[in-house]
Amino acid sequence: MAQLTEQTSKLACLILFSAAFALAAADAPRSQQPRKPASPDAAGFDANVKPILKTTCSACHNATLNSGGVNLVPYLDSGTLNDRASWEKILQKIESGEMPPKGIARPAPEKIAALVSYLHSEFEKVDAAAKPDPGRVTAKRLNRNEYRNTIRDLLAVEFRAEKELPTDDSGYGFDNIGDVLSVSPILMERYLNAAETIASRALGADPLPKKPIESTADLKTRTLRRLDYSTVEATHRVDFDGEYAVRFGFPGERAKDAKPVKMGFFMDGHLLKTIDVETKPSKLVYFSPFSDGEVRVYLPEGDHVFRAAFLNDDFVKTITNDKDAYSDKKNKYIGSITFVGPFPSKVEKASRKKILICDPASGQKCVERIVTNLAHHAFRRPVTKSEVAAYMKFVGEAKGQGQSVEQGIQLALEAMLVSPDFLFRMERDPNPLDATKAHRLADTELATRLSYFLWSSMPDDELLSLAETSRLHEPAILDAQVKRMLTDKKAAAFADNFAGQWLEVRNLDSIMPDPDKFPEWTPELKEDLRTETRMFFEYVLTQNRPISEMINAKYTFLNESLAKFYGIDGVKGPDFRKVDLTTDQRGGILTQGAVLAVSSYPNRTSPTIRGKYVLSNVLGTPPPPPPPDVPALDVSKVGSDISLRKQLEAHRSNPVCASCHSKMDVLGFGLENYNAIGKWRTMDGKFPVDVGGTMPNGKSFQTAAEMRAVLEGNSMPQITRCLTEKVMTYALGRGMQSYDNRTINQITKTVDDDGQHFQTLIYEVVRSLPFQSRRGEAVTTLHKETTSKTKEIASK
Amino acid sequence: MITKKTLPRRTFLRGMGSAAVALPFLDAMSPAFASSTIPGGAPVRMAFFYVPNGMIMDSWNPSYEGKFQELPRSLKPLEPFKDDILQIGNLTHNTGRALLDGAGDHGRCCGSYLTGVQVKKSLTEIKGSISFDQIVANEIGKQTRFPSLELGMEDARQAGDCDSGYSCAYTNNLAWRGESQPLPPMLDPRALFERLFGTGQPMTAEERKRQTMYRRSILDFVTESTHKLESSLGPTDRRKLDEYLSAIRQVERQIERAEKDTRPIEPGIDKPYGIPADFSEHFKLMSDMIAIAFQADQTRIVTFLMTREGSSRPYRELDIPDGHHPLTHHRNLPDLMEKVRRINEYHVRQFAGFIEKMKATKEGDGTLLDNSMLVYGAGLSDGNAHLHEDLPTLIAGKGGNYFKTGRRVVVRRETPMCNLFLTMMDRMGVHTEKFGDSTGQLQGLDLG
Repeated sequence: MAQLTEQTSKLACLILFSAAFALAAADAPRSQQPRKPASPDAAGFDANVKPILKTTCSACHNATLNSGGVNLVPYLDSGTLNDRASWEKILQKIESGEMPPKGIARPAPEKIAALVSYLHSEFEKVDAAAKPDPGRVTAKRLNRNEYRNTIRDLLAVEFRAEKELPTDDSGYGFDNIGDVLSVSPILMERYLNAAETIASRALGADPLPKKPIESTADLKTRTLRRLDYSTVEATHRVDFDGEYAVRFGFPGERAKDAKPVKMGFFMDGHLLKTIDVETKPSKLVYFSPFSDGEVRVYLPEGDHVFRAAFLNDDFVKTITNDKDAYSDKKNKYIGSITFVGPFPSKVEKASRKKILICDPASGQKCVERIVTNLAHHAFRRPVTKSEVAAYMKFVGEAKGQGQSVEQGIQLALEAMLVSPDFLFRMERDPNPLDATKAHRLADTELATRLSYFLWSSMPDDELLSLAETSRLHEPAILDAQVKRMLTDKKAAAFADNFAGQWLEVRNLDSIMPDPDKFPEWTPELKEDLRTETRMFFEYVLTQNRPISEMINAKYTFLNESLAKFYGIDGVKGPDFRKVDLTTDQRGGILTQGAVLAVSSYPNRTSPTIRGKYVLSNVLGTPPPPPPPDVPALDVSKVGSDISLRKQLEAHRSNPVCASCHSKMDVLGFGLENYNAIGKWRTMDGKFPVDVGGTMPNGKSFQTAAEMRAVLEGNSMPQITRCLTEKVMTYALGRGMQSYDNRTINQITKTVDDDGQHFQTLIYEVVRSLPFQSRRGEAVTTLHKETTSKTKEIASK
Repeated sequence: MITKKTLPRRTFLRGMGSAAVALPFLDAMSPAFASSTIPGGAPVRMAFFYVPNGMIMDSWNPSYEGKFQELPRSLKPLEPFKDDILQIGNLTHNTGRALLDGAGDHGRCCGSYLTGVQVKKSLTEIKGSISFDQIVANEIGKQTRFPSLELGMEDARQAGDCDSGYSCAYTNNLAWRGESQPLPPMLDPRALFERLFGTGQPMTAEERKRQTMYRRSILDFVTESTHKLESSLGPTDRRKLDEYLSAIRQVERQIERAEKDTRPIEPGIDKPYGIPADFSEHFKLMSDMIAIAFQADQTRIVTFLMTREGSSRPYRELDIPDGHHPLTHHRNLPDLMEKVRRINEYHVRQFAGFIEKMKATKEGDGTLLDNSMLVYGAGLSDGNAHLHEDLPTLIAGKGGNYFKTGRRVVVRRETPMCNLFLTMMDRMGVHTEKFGDSTGQLQGLDLG
């Protein structure tokens, strides 16, 4: 139970106005005074809680029967409301319908509702009066995205961490939660490997092979995959950073009057080069018509997906079968890709420029400067002389092995990249073991929090130097930095990582819609949908649009192929652009194909999953998990020839199910006009789509557009609060606790009062107490056990 | 395979005969080629192949006990190896049940499967326990290059929650190194190949020696600086760094081990490129490498998560477009149950391919399979009702002249699964009285 003092409510008011006051409050000693519990509304308790608890619950949960090891008799007193943990558990069991169990008479639904709302309001009262607590963020190791971005910004090396490092576990829907990210032996192996690869690539001090290597991907050996009649793809490992000659074999020829086509060469989805390809007969005498083309490109080390495609190839549209497509007499197509290299690149590597800030051949002084500069940036803070000296030893070690100074710097860099100072974002506590002492973060720690929040990467020089001169925390300077960071292109990481996880769009890669039912589902459509949602979110963020547009925008982002899929005319070409929507079929995230696809089964929509999605991700009221023995749908009542809606309605005839499904399904049915990959429909198989419904708040709607209007008109505070909670979780990298409610409520109010502008939310999170400070942590027996066990295992 | 015509430097492994090329992941460590030269005779190996979402039990359990006659449908692919398998009925994981924790049977059953404890229901505060395979790895892992290998076929879920308030860590992982440290499975056959056999980049003996030396001094250095750091941290932060240090020590041991053993290894298969789209091809690559790793005594312990618990993967290979998990909540509809049976059988067929390979590999006077115990099982029996009793459990191999195979044994109802683990630990040379909720070793499985 949170500890309360009489002073706290006064302090709480101050906090609403200024983060600085809040910090002062947090600095004040906590709970020095004897604990005075808040006085709960005893009359309300006796009216709403006690009767049910007494007649229904404690009939089994008493000292004698002690059902499930739970005795609720002591809880018949409102004084026990201070035992928040127990009451939360009681509330959860009742709210989910798990208790009372089958066979026990259920109190009337309105009685249960009154109990639930009483407990909620009591908890809120307590939270509002609680002493501010910034909470505590556990030391976080960099996740894969952060690792990749940090390497990019530190060394100008592109490292594909998502290929080289194991998948990060996530908690609360995000993969940057310190408590969840751990270091397994396999990850440590990969870190050590990655450090060697990255340091070697960054310095380029190791020589390239003396002779170039040639390797070919072709159709015969099935190393080249055909994606369509004018596109091929190969996975190929590039062994060294360097220049490569890439050759394309073009078997076949088209008719005499055939036009030349443009061929694009792509790496990992990015266009590297285009060349012109002549397709008509060459008039040479040959048995098998063939020509080739070549490009010379710089390729980075690693596994890449290469694609070659004839772009806007009108001729191919006239071909109707494989036989013609790959007949040497009728078509010219792409038959092989050959890589030859590496050749030394004349361009000085960006990474070398970044590392070698002076000429290391000029002597020890310069080498020290280089090592200091690297460690300073890698550790995101100033480094001490003795730290530098320790890393200089590696330069000496390499020298002792007869290697060059540059190879020595490379070794020192390797060591930095596996050190905890680099891999972990650690924040120091003056009193690590005292949970009652809160303090403001050091400015360098604040800089790091800020840059990983908005950029998923390390702080740049401007942030770092403001931090090192202890000015970053000044409100005006901090605001100005947030503003600058949001306009930087690195802020795209926030859209990718925050929105990608909040909206679950990352799951696009793991869903597998049924190709028979949804032949339109292609890798291209998947990327188009992903792009639409990303650009939409980026637009709302960078243009500081109101959050309500997330629900009901009159625009979206489309290219020609996605517009066609949505049935929208007048969008031409492959580039995405903002398109104003002229009908009410679509608008906002809930109508975007990416969201609709990740909330469906492979072969059909699921109103329940979509409803749960809206409740959890948009309204912030996730339904409780189903009770353990979910009753199966009654098969005798439900035939496969009645509509899904009727089936689910039958399911809801069970009151235990109805309590949650009535909330979930109505929202899910509101989205039934969109099929399992997000295409508009008015029929589901042989049944017309029936969208209408009534929300728990009593508002009813007839169409998908009306449902969005109802959400926009009535639920915006709730939606803002949900988004605030999600952004806070992501920004802090920890789950929200009851003591965070005051911050969340306050930010929600500020954002709502300010026209719900999205950036206001970002600024307010950065200004908040939990973002700017932390406290120590009490040692519990759990910790002692864990630590000794971990040590024991480690020592074995 | 991409063909390489001129290979002056970067040479492909295959066809190199006995030339010392493979400079494995921790490249300085070339593994030993074991075959019959393992000191003290052939060791016992163990592996777990875990399949999610339970099974249709009427096609898994035969109607009889004792010697195998007609195999039930899901076991049919194992017909040629019928004399090498032992099916055990009635094993139970009580810790997988709800007890007081409510919904989330998928998260719980996978979390408790090898750990034998009821895991904490939480999204962030992950708490399980060391899994029994890791206890074995701690004891005998020093004798092989890798104390254990954790492998799988399906990537971790990237967003959203996994099962009713249980962190995805419980359904994405099978092995646990400590109570808050699940071991993520490796999915990419290429990465596994490189880990076992190296990237194929040749190095001179001198280069290799230098690399090992550098790695050592880097790891020494970061260990020391971490110790200095720890004193200023709170308990949770310190725990994170302890995990980091423990991981470093294991890598150091691998380096040590590799230094002692520098004989080259011939993988006998082409290096794979990434994860094949085809499920059975993916499984074959992974399981072929397990067989090689066992044969060369690279490791003796493998855990394999076929797909993650609660997986909703559709099985296009079988013309089944529905997700596996939603299908298993079949509401007793015959057509849905039929699809689940086909998925169950398909998984077993993959496993049978692995058994075939293990059996075809000679070791001493017998086969590699004889010296192994390869458990195939699930954390739920009836996936529709989320039942945790009579868990599907099958052992292939005799575990070194121990198990009496070729039959079905039905133990007393509610016999803890952990009893089997105790027996297996004993076979692996780790003798302990108790693991999880065990009540003693399983009796009646042996030849005696």
